[in-house]
Amino acid sequence: MEYYVVSLLNGTIYGLLLFMVSAGLTLIFGMMGVLNFAHASFYMVGAYLAYTLQKLLGFWPALVLSTLLVGVIGALVERYFLRRVHKFGHAHELLLTFGISFIIAELIKLIYGNFPVDYRIPKSLDFSAFTIFGASYPAYRLLMGSIALAMFALIYLLLTRTRVGIVVRSAIYKPKMAEALGHNVPMVFMGVFSAGAALAGLAGAVAGAFYTTNPNMALELGIMVFVVVVVGGLGSLEGAMLASLLIGLITSYSVGIDRSLADLCALFGARAWAEGVGGLMTLKISSLAATIPFAFMLIILLVRPSGLLGEKE
Amino acid sequence: MKYVRYLIAIAIILLGVLPAVLSQSLVNAATQMLIAVLFACAFNLLCGQGGMLSFGHAAYFGVGAFATIHAMGDGSVAGLLPTPMLPLAGACAGILVGIGAGWFSTKRSGVYFSMITLALAELLHSLAPHLKGMFGGEAGISGMRSPAWGLSFGTSTQIYYLTLVWVLASLAVLFLFTRTPVGRLTLALRENTHRLRFLGYEVHRLRVLVFVISAMFAGIAGSLQVINNESANYVVFDSHLSTVVVLNSYIGGVNVFLGPALGAAIMTFFGYAVSDLTRSWLLYQGILFVFVMMFLPSGLSGLRQLWLGVRRSLSVSVLVPIVAFSCVAGLMLIGGVIFSVEILQRIFSQDYQSLLVTAGSAAWPSVSLFGCDWPPGSLLTWIVPLVLVIGGSILVKVVKKKFHTLNEATATPDTEIPLPCAAEDLPDINKLHHVERDSA
Amino acid sequence: MNAPVLSLRNVHKSFDKAHIIRGVDLDLLPGERHAVIGPNGAGKSTLFHLISGQFAPSKGEILFDGHPIQGQTPQKINHLGLARSFQITNIFPRLTVFENLRIAVMQREGLQYTLWKIINRVRPVQEKTESLLERVRLEARRDTPAGELSYSEQRSLEIGMTLASDPKVILLDEPMAGMSKEETHYTISLIRELTKGCSLMIVEHDMDVVFSISDRISVLVYGEVIATGTPDVIRNDCRVREAYLGEEVCACA
Repeated sequence: MEYYVVSLLNGTIYGLLLFMVSAGLTLIFGMMGVLNFAHASFYMVGAYLAYTLQKLLGFWPALVLSTLLVGVIGALVERYFLRRVHKFGHAHELLLTFGISFIIAELIKLIYGNFPVDYRIPKSLDFSAFTIFGASYPAYRLLMGSIALAMFALIYLLLTRTRVGIVVRSAIYKPKMAEALGHNVPMVFMGVFSAGAALAGLAGAVAGAFYTTNPNMALELGIMVFVVVVVGGLGSLEGAMLASLLIGLITSYSVGIDRSLADLCALFGARAWAEGVGGLMTLKISSLAATIPFAFMLIILLVRPSGLLGEKE
Repeated sequence: MKYVRYLIAIAIILLGVLPAVLSQSLVNAATQMLIAVLFACAFNLLCGQGGMLSFGHAAYFGVGAFATIHAMGDGSVAGLLPTPMLPLAGACAGILVGIGAGWFSTKRSGVYFSMITLALAELLHSLAPHLKGMFGGEAGISGMRSPAWGLSFGTSTQIYYLTLVWVLASLAVLFLFTRTPVGRLTLALRENTHRLRFLGYEVHRLRVLVFVISAMFAGIAGSLQVINNESANYVVFDSHLSTVVVLNSYIGGVNVFLGPALGAAIMTFFGYAVSDLTRSWLLYQGILFVFVMMFLPSGLSGLRQLWLGVRRSLSVSVLVPIVAFSCVAGLMLIGGVIFSVEILQRIFSQDYQSLLVTAGSAAWPSVSLFGCDWPPGSLLTWIVPLVLVIGGSILVKVVKKKFHTLNEATATPDTEIPLPCAAEDLPDINKLHHVERDSA
Repeated sequence: MNAPVLSLRNVHKSFDKAHIIRGVDLDLLPGERHAVIGPNGAGKSTLFHLISGQFAPSKGEILFDGHPIQGQTPQKINHLGLARSFQITNIFPRLTVFENLRIAVMQREGLQYTLWKIINRVRPVQEKTESLLERVRLEARRDTPAGELSYSEQRSLEIGMTLASDPKVILLDEPMAGMSKEETHYTISLIRELTKGCSLMIVEHDMDVVFSISDRISVLVYGEVIATGTPDVIRNDCRVREAYLGEEVCACA
């Protein structure tokens, strides 16, 4: 029971974190048609900036400032890099962001070294929120979850209830038309790109303290975000939400399963055969935790190639 | 086109006599270059010709490598294949894994395809260390080349020749492939899958076929790598290799058959040449890639076309100063970037940072670079790169302006200078994606 | 009368709630040139998409040579001998004109998976492509990338690609859209010449074209065929005039 509840909580919070990054990615794709490969790099930059700034300013100001700074970086990338190659087509833009993500990773390695940095939860937040089945549950996890939720509420309200939101949504839906109606679409693009980057940066600043902050974090999370997007259907916020939570839960549950495929075969009386085969058959699910989301993605591709909530092809 | 043939013949002869004039370690570097060349060309079959941008091509390189290490034997156990035939094992592994991976990833096109290939490679990367029998866990597997056909395969020269023969043969096959019906259809896949479907072609099957061929040659490249190293480790599945092949191919230019080969050869060579001088080679490679993407979309091999285009309307005497100034501007920019990166690298290095801690509040000690000492506190240290970058940029602007005025002066509307324009030159992945969506 | 080569029986198509095609019955006779006309949004392009396999009909039957083909894949339907062109030019823009046509020709020659032949040495393909190039009058543009052709040349190429598989039935979706008067004349003569011997179904807005080219005309309004007949019959059909031309000229209830 304890395992189920704790895994549920952990999985949901990890899922929310994934959503914070994949939401920006999917919004930017929906609007500009650009798959921003560097999106997860903004997550990493957020973590490293917060790590540096919290030593000087304290945790909360660092969180705010690093989010804003990543937003500025995002705006600069859009304005001075992406916009210049826009005329060459979307493939080119994807490749450019791919190159930028590579440069960011190498710069981080150059400045901070190719190893994890000591970015930790501040003492004031390092306490247990409640005790569940005799185990204490860290308050910081709840904080991460609530920041993510607060962000969505804000974005949702912004998109649905404000004038800016209406312009943004129309620019996402029909950029040419919005431009013809006199809206500054390039400006909207830059704004959304920057907001998406800031969101990823915030996720990084918050999560970096809890998980590890290292030069590989962008790639690791980035691939997971791509899995989310393929599973959920690119361009669909609801799909991204659903897939993020699913992946989060699957990851968190599979960590605790000490069974293997051989155990499954035992149900059909084929354990001896399975153990004889060895390899994949005898591996415990828990040690495959990193692999399972990919397997899940392949299954989705088989069953519903367009993703859970994606448009049908 | 005749002189291209001569160039290729000369290159092959040069490659043939190379071991006679080079040291052992350079011969080894040349072997690495050849492997990178083959890998890049295999990648480009899928990306440049088929319009399917794979971000996980290391997977097929890797399975080729592991198949070979299993087929090689380790001294105590005899190998399955004689050493010169080992790449066949890599090719088979590439085909088999390519069928599976290709079937899945080509179900989607455009950016989805790229993401799926990335995820599939990561799947292998995360699975491999757990499968001890097949991938040898974290430690990897080592083997030993056995003598065959009267050759010992004990020297780097022999391995070089073995690699050379396989790479040249593979490139020849890849080139002939472009002349076959499937080779022509590969280009059509890049251009317009929707239309292809209404012409009666099975697009998914064609895509898988192209994917498998590309994976096969990637497998051969992986195989050659193992023959060279006599060991394979799951690190080969790391995204690094997949990234580098994308960078190399686009730096070389994906629109020309040998463009990626050019990029891979140059980049591998430089990587080897500067490995003792800098720790930031990858960063430079990334910067070069972004630079190419922004200002030279058809890559280094596009320079030739640019030059031909310019030559058509402007005389050499006019061009010489322009080219000379461009070179100066380029060198200044390169100098400025290298200077800044290197000095930052030294300041942020662990040695220096611990030095700072021991030095306490005293002024920051100098760092040595290019044989001089540069105190980080001094203005001069930062003015040098600044002057180089700003000066370079101004020069670029001046040259550009001069070039444009010259163009306008000489060009009648009919002889406008065709700049290499990527809008038509590159596979527009997303356009295809939208077409796919329309065909719902 | 000959048995129809293509025949639609009570075909329906809905997208979510929008009922676009509401029970169409239509016959295409062997060798005839049959035009489908109708106001914007009547469902003409959707009808073509249904026949050519881009969409599956929600209900009803489409018979080709007496065999049902509804819901089949485009490539399958193409193999049976039905080829179509597109309203929006749909070619391989970076390949040469010759290459575009050759790719279309190769399919019929069964070279889809051939890896062991050099294409330039496959005589039948080369000859067929050359003759097709001549028939669509694009010899002079042989080695030009298709994307650099003029609009009407691209349309000619498109028709050439459609013809490459020697189809029994050809569907042309607004082949004259966006053309000047001369280009239209040129293309009409091209279509007349090229489609001899096969059945043609054509969607077109230009009434001069429609009445000069077609043997029979069907009028599609709001997803229903309100009339089918020879140009003279259609010209004088009052329902057509009422629905299509917006005239209330006759009092035939």
